[in-house]
Amino acid sequence: MLVENKKIPVQVPPSRRALPVLTRGALIEPSETLQKTPAARYHLIEGATPLVFLLEGSRLFAVEPELFAELKTGAVAVEEVFPELLAPLAASIADFDSLAEPTAISLNVAQSCNLSCGYCYADEGRFGGKAGAMTSETAFAAIDNLLAGAGDRPVTVGFMGGEPFVNRKVLHASVAYARRRAAAQNTKIRFSVTTNGTLLQPADIELLRANGFSVTVSLDGAEQTNNRLRRSKDGSSSFARTIENLKPLLRKPGAAKLAARATVTRADLRVRERVASLAAVGFADIGVSPLRQSPDASLALTDSDWSSFLNEMIRAAEDEILRLQRGEKLRFSNFAEALRQIHRGASRNLPCGSASNYVSVAADGNYFSCHRTIDNEFFAFGNTADGLSAAARRRFLSARQVDRQEPCSSCWARYLCGGGCHAEVAAVGRGGCDYIRGWLEFCLRSYDRLASANLLPFDF
Amino acid sequence: MSDSNKSNFEEKSLRAQKIFPRNLTARAAYQVAGNPVVARLESGVGNCYPGLEYDHRNLDRRFFPGLVFDFVSQDDASAPSQKRRGLRLTAVELNDPDLQGDQSLRDSLGSQSAALGAGSWFVNEIEQDGKKILTYETAGNNIEYLDGMVIYQIVRGLNRGKVRIVLSNRDGDGASVELTGERRGFLNEDGVIKSVFQPGELTQSLCSPWQHDFRDCGCNYWASNHPDIVLTEDEVGEALLPTGGSADPHRAQTLVDWLRADRNREAAAEAFPTREENRLFQMDHYEINRRWEQLAVVLEGKEISSIYRPGEIHRAAPLASPQEVADRLRYLASLEHVLILEYLYAYFSIAPPDRVDANRFPDIDDAVIFARHQLLMIAVSEMRHLRWANQILWELEHAKLISAESGPALEVAETVPAAGGGHRKAELRVLTMDTLQDFIDVEAPSGTLDGQYASVAATLREPLYPPSAYQLAERIIADGVEHFSRFRELKLVLKNYLSENESPYLLALTPADPQTNETAAAALAAYSSIIENLAEAYEKGDMEDAKYIITSRQKMEELETLARKLAADGFGIPFFNFEQSE
Repeated sequence: MLVENKKIPVQVPPSRRALPVLTRGALIEPSETLQKTPAARYHLIEGATPLVFLLEGSRLFAVEPELFAELKTGAVAVEEVFPELLAPLAASIADFDSLAEPTAISLNVAQSCNLSCGYCYADEGRFGGKAGAMTSETAFAAIDNLLAGAGDRPVTVGFMGGEPFVNRKVLHASVAYARRRAAAQNTKIRFSVTTNGTLLQPADIELLRANGFSVTVSLDGAEQTNNRLRRSKDGSSSFARTIENLKPLLRKPGAAKLAARATVTRADLRVRERVASLAAVGFADIGVSPLRQSPDASLALTDSDWSSFLNEMIRAAEDEILRLQRGEKLRFSNFAEALRQIHRGASRNLPCGSASNYVSVAADGNYFSCHRTIDNEFFAFGNTADGLSAAARRRFLSARQVDRQEPCSSCWARYLCGGGCHAEVAAVGRGGCDYIRGWLEFCLRSYDRLASANLLPFDF
Repeated sequence: MSDSNKSNFEEKSLRAQKIFPRNLTARAAYQVAGNPVVARLESGVGNCYPGLEYDHRNLDRRFFPGLVFDFVSQDDASAPSQKRRGLRLTAVELNDPDLQGDQSLRDSLGSQSAALGAGSWFVNEIEQDGKKILTYETAGNNIEYLDGMVIYQIVRGLNRGKVRIVLSNRDGDGASVELTGERRGFLNEDGVIKSVFQPGELTQSLCSPWQHDFRDCGCNYWASNHPDIVLTEDEVGEALLPTGGSADPHRAQTLVDWLRADRNREAAAEAFPTREENRLFQMDHYEINRRWEQLAVVLEGKEISSIYRPGEIHRAAPLASPQEVADRLRYLASLEHVLILEYLYAYFSIAPPDRVDANRFPDIDDAVIFARHQLLMIAVSEMRHLRWANQILWELEHAKLISAESGPALEVAETVPAAGGGHRKAELRVLTMDTLQDFIDVEAPSGTLDGQYASVAATLREPLYPPSAYQLAERIIADGVEHFSRFRELKLVLKNYLSENESPYLLALTPADPQTNETAAAALAAYSSIIENLAEAYEKGDMEDAKYIITSRQKMEELETLARKLAADGFGIPFFNFEQSE
């Protein structure tokens, strides 16, 4: 039933052009998207139970072996199984515009030490400069600054050195002062100290107990191992003195928590033995740090040492797995902490809290990013009199985010590792990254293994 | 089914079964197959509305051996009296097994049972372990009785052991009876529910979704499963619109209460706007128990008692070929086009509110605002149809179902379907009642426009055609029905201002002569430019944001300004003149 229609003059182009694709809902070629996805957003971990680790949110998945084989060969794209990888990487670069005041400081009350350990980053506490002691005025001013910026957050005051008990008087006075001031403004406060334990007196032990100190004792392992590098100036056994002084605290810690920290040098890479020896004298929390930077360069680990060190770490951790199987508690804190971070899916773009929620105060009252960078002007953030410089902290943090670091941005472990200790990176660069990846991979596998056996000491 | 036949979806869900989240963040982000948290017991609506599950009050009705109570609430429709709120005695059971061990209670109940059998007995006092609670409050001479739900909470809190209660007769002289007995437990020594609870007693308050609760339950859970208002059923042989609605505009728009008690067709009155107003005319409790089978099945908003017949639009015969669809669309587009021009001309003939005399004609200023708005909305909707018709054509071309030779459909039809199946000459006219009637006729759902789109839609529904084309055709049909009712509303409003020889809402427009009137010439040029730009846009199939669409929109605004100027001078835009061309 068509009707003849009158046409009005309409310009119809004589030649018909190629028809474009409809603009509604642009289609994206999936293959193209997959190719563009950066490689370092997931990590495939082989094993009896193959695992896939997604960097964002540090999510760990077990995958059936046959599917894993397809993922490994590329027969199935990882993005197909985990389509969240198709979404752009969530911004991991922060601007630190609203940088909160720190909630933790360490006071280097004594930049001197009664020991002369060959590897000490602080060079017997002097940090390459002159030995010094903090005055109580400086300590109080730093505590005042900390409490002023605390708001309703709990704060931590730590004591470092050198050996903090060299300046016993200021240490005791600072605890009393901080406790009184915190109580006055209703702020919760905690204390920590890192000590070689050789100078502890009964009054000190009482202080640690009563104030619930976290006490970190620097001990390298069994007596012989320890004394090789942790030398007393008078030649006596520093190990014996430490243990003798600590005995009452180890026996009756009160509210205090004790931990041992061992420094591993290339002179002796063993870890398991150190853990066992320190456990034998009564420590329930034992951690190790490989020496990367030292006044005596021959002690620091070199590239050829990392794989041996990794084996040592794994050997120590396997002991811990056996302990869990026997129903005993974890004591190797490197392993325990890694498992805890994996469990929570910790994902961070910085290696530690330094400069953000933690700063360190030198004996003369200057602020530094942490206790390892004391008196290094590149890490200086002002002083207790003028206050902490937020701008300096912001600059520091902004530049050091792991996604801005190389070769970190292409590393699958970057959000677990955070890019490595600022002080060490500045001094000696990044080394031993294969060790870190190997260690984290071992911990991820162990986590899965322990979870399957229902042996993880965490709640789900 | 071989692997290669598995759909992408199946493959994906199979893969999802092969990955297992391990740590907290992986678990938190992982979509677990199975029932969501809202399906769990603790999320149940029964926590708030025990009628959906189980009501503990059914146990405590027998908290005192030998007696059965009701917890009477203040909003209980059957007990509006304040005096009847509370813990009311409903039965004395001397054969209660828990009385067997309590000789003294059995004796006193035996002696009082005759008295308790007459009047309305309520518990006035409850006492346990030296603590006494009255079930009423006094303020001066006024006695305020506690609500049954409050007393339930008191009873619920009673411990095992002796309880003393005082009953009083609220009907008679206020006589009271004091009784002491063991607060009843629910289970016997074997952990089985006590035999005193009769079969059916514990479930008696569960919802009865086909009965009381279907008409109104406290949480609206069941009540929300039936329609509130519906259209009544078609009569046999009644004229229907192609969409399936009644052709009688009154019946097509009169919604009645679905629960109405009077099921007489003739008595079916329009439902009131609120639930409370309708309540009086609905089937009541008990009534619905008997008569629920009379409630109608409802399809597409309309009650159905016999076999469902889809509307004509859904039964239209498909056209034979894609080319036939294209020809039909081309014709329909030309109709949409000419209607746009007729409507726009009429639109500018309605006086703006500042040009009408509201002193002589009350509210005429509001009426013209309304009329202009309605007419413009319809014209704009027709413009959209023109675009959609072109889009369907473009999609047919793009799918290579028709050849791409004829270009966009922007012709203007010379005649327009009229009432009675004939055609009238397309004409630019002011909005008189006759014009309006012609508009109503062309948009009538039984008319040509919708009927023809129905065949187009029926064809486009076939799998050969792109799915979006069918959806566009359906939307055009749905809009057409709306145009029809908008025009009829318009007529109702404007009719009020008509007299013998006066149309006070109208401007007397005549088509301007573009040879002598510069504004008219400019308007025609703008119109021409709009069409050219649309042609370009429709040609490219890029209809969302191409520069041609933007340009034609700018030109439309220009055209509107020019048209207003012309109308102020008594002229309309001479979009076409078919008289002259003959």
